[in-house]
Amino acid sequence: MAAAAAGGRRCRRLEGEAARAALGAAEALLFDCDGVLWRGEAAVAGAAAALGRLAAAGKRLCYVTNNSSRTRGAYTEKLRRLGFPPAEPRHVFGSAYCAARYLRQALPPGAAAYVLGSAALGAELEAAGVPHLGPGPAALPGPAPADWAQAPLDPAVRAVLVGFDEHFSYAKLCLALRYLQRGGAACLLVGTNRDHRLPLEGGAAIPGTGCLVKAVETAAEREAFIVGKPNRYMFDCVVSEFNIDPARTIMVGDRLDTDILMGNNCGLTTLLTLTGVTTLEEVKGHQESDCPARQSLVPDYYVDSIADLLPALGD
Amino acid sequence: MAGCRRLSGAGLREVLGPAQGLLFDCDGVLWAGERAVPGAPELLERLRRSGKATLFVSNNSRRSVAELERRFSRLGFRGVRAEQVFSSAFCSALFLRQRLLGNGGGDGDGGPGRIFVLGGEGLRGEVRDAGLRLAGEGEPSSGAAEPVRAVLVGYDDQFTFAKLAQACGYLRDPQCLLVATDPDPWHPLSDGQRTPGTGSLTAAVETASGRKALVVGKPNTYMFDCIVERFGVDPSRTLMVGDRLETDILFGKNCGLSTILTLTGVSRLEEAQAYMASDSAAAKDLVPNYYVDSIADLIPGLDD
Repeated sequence: MAAAAAGGRRCRRLEGEAARAALGAAEALLFDCDGVLWRGEAAVAGAAAALGRLAAAGKRLCYVTNNSSRTRGAYTEKLRRLGFPPAEPRHVFGSAYCAARYLRQALPPGAAAYVLGSAALGAELEAAGVPHLGPGPAALPGPAPADWAQAPLDPAVRAVLVGFDEHFSYAKLCLALRYLQRGGAACLLVGTNRDHRLPLEGGAAIPGTGCLVKAVETAAEREAFIVGKPNRYMFDCVVSEFNIDPARTIMVGDRLDTDILMGNNCGLTTLLTLTGVTTLEEVKGHQESDCPARQSLVPDYYVDSIADLLPALGD
Repeated sequence: MAGCRRLSGAGLREVLGPAQGLLFDCDGVLWAGERAVPGAPELLERLRRSGKATLFVSNNSRRSVAELERRFSRLGFRGVRAEQVFSSAFCSALFLRQRLLGNGGGDGDGGPGRIFVLGGEGLRGEVRDAGLRLAGEGEPSSGAAEPVRAVLVGYDDQFTFAKLAQACGYLRDPQCLLVATDPDPWHPLSDGQRTPGTGSLTAAVETASGRKALVVGKPNTYMFDCIVERFGVDPSRTLMVGDRLETDILFGKNCGLSTILTLTGVSRLEEAQAYMASDSAAAKDLVPNYYVDSIADLIPGLDD
């Protein structure tokens, strides 16, 4: 009832005439990567071919990923390695790159960021010209918390940036809190994304960046500005680079609460692929609920795999 | 709703007179860092002479009860015995013991199992003293070893991403409990800076595992249950004295105790007044009945 009344999205299988029409009308497609184009190091069968046909048809292809542990350069290299159409770094919108863009624009000149994150995040900040300190293991001035709380604070720091950080520790959390407390509202708190888990092959998972963001938010008793999906900042980055029209853009993803939600919120056509973390049952559950928040997780269309688009892209 | 009235003069005697006992938080109430709050040892002495019970209930999960007993003595508080002290470390160990050993041993498939503790030696010692076994760091999350039946999150200044990942591995088993010693987001340092508390680490584990932790410490009432079990206090004749509105004062409210906020610690009077002025029902529960600048101000309320 609620779905029809609200003109809600219907999650129809994208095939046949509907597929030809939707793909024909689209000028640009934004792709999430993990679970859509590849799983780990293995490309989804037929995905490269589908993207090849889309590129040949003149569609703008961009890649939008919450993963903050790789640079745009590393993504273009992976796309090349797995046989996808040639891409340049400017086509890739990773949360590390977008966080660096955000800070370049939000920080006063000369201000630095204290970073809980990977070398890749540091590299993107470097490339964006944002002074920063922090990636890697904490440099501890002594063995005890009492020592850490006395370590001098860099006077230039006006932001704390939290990304995926396998060197995350209490000492780094402590330092982040000290910067946030010193700066108050004048010190930005930015997170690359809220994903709580990174799936690995075989069903296991490791904690995601969202856990680290939550730790900092809890200690500091404030909320971070989140760069990644489902928030719209990454989409704004795509628009500023390529001037795409939301009404002629399709967002393709495998997660409802990041890819599809962002796409829906930004007025894009949304396409769910089932090669990643989401099942059709989950979507049905949201569709049948009366809750508007859950309704906004429902995509316009779905496919079992993006390889299913090939028939609609034939010549 | 509680009135947040300054306790002084005749009011002091009216409130303290009928009280049979007082529960005190420790950090920010009795001491700040390595310094006793001036007059605090004398207050406890006078309470003892007046025949009032004094008990201590602390969310600080760093120290064992034995360490706390020595701390009391070192800071000039005479005659405080371990049995009067209820720390979140001790109570968490008790909680786990009851849940895992309480029904005559585990869930049937081989004993109570092990506990993965995110915390220091004080906390680990309390868990061992409760008769429970600890899982080591860096061990694989599954395999032939005795299953891990609980992850216990406490104040852990050696917390790492690797330990977070290890904890999540154990928590994939829905039978594995997730317990936190306390919810405190941060603690004050003597120079006014803040250091992250258990609450921030628990938030990371909850987010990664998709589970909610059972929180032993204030404002939850489990520690009061431990106190009642050992001493049988009457809430209507017991006062709760603390410095943190969101834990101590709410704890008092939840346990049916009258509450006194002391201003030598975390919370400011303005915060209590803001809660009082708020429209939210939850905020009103954070308003203390009374406040004092320091617990030394309670001394005149006692007979000589």
